[in-house]
This record gives sequence, C-alpha cells and structure tokens, in this order.
Amino acid sequence: MFKTLQEDMYKVWLIFDPRRALVALFGFLIVLALIIHMLLLSTDRFNWLETSAAPAGAAVSQMAPVAPGPTQ
Amino acid sequence: MANERSSLSGLTEDEAKEFHGIFVSSFLAFTAVAVVAHILAWVWRPWL
Repeated sequence: MFKTLQEDMYKVWLIFDPRRALVALFGFLIVLALIIHMLLLSTDRFNWLETSAAPAGAAVSQMAPVAPGPTQ
Repeated sequence: MANERSSLSGLTEDEAKEFHGIFVSSFLAFTAVAVVAHILAWVWRPWL
C-alpha cells in the first residue's frame, strides 16, 4: 500500500498547478526564514552580528570574579 | 491514453512525472543544505 502511495506521489501535480504551488512554497519559506532570522537576531545568545556577549552555555559569568590582591 | 486526458492542473501524466523528479531532487538538495546549516549552528551555539 505504501509503495503504491510513494510511486503515485507525482499525481499531486495533476491536481495542484506547479507554478502556483512553487510560488506559494517559496513565499512560505521566505516568510518563515525571515521570521526565524529576525527572532534569532533579537536574542542575546544567538545574535551573530554582536557576538560580544553570551559565550556558549554561560550567559551569567560575564564578569570574572576579582582575585584578592596580596595583603600587606 | 492517460496522456491525453485533461487534469485539474492542466499537466499531462508525463509532465507531472518530470516535474516531480525535479521537485524531489530540489527538495533533497535544500534539505541537505539545511541539515549542514543546522549542524554548524549547533556547533556554534547549541540551543537545547
């Protein structure tokens, strides 16, 4: 049954016009990609343009503790 | 002959098969690029 299903998948193009389907698919993918990229750019951890902050896994330890100086 | 029968999309059986071949190979190429991009992104900063 599934083999037949796989072999007959091309028949969707008898139902859906490939031109419209491609325009719809590309439009959907572009909108999805833009949303995800903007969402990532808006975060600290995954903003790849300003990578100064947030090393992997350690967003908290930005400031190294100051070692006590030699007491005299 | 199935080739001369009109379909909803206007494609013939052979045209549908030809387009499907291109569509599937393009989909696989796109998926491969996406998988590589996700691996690189995970190496850079894992998100789970």
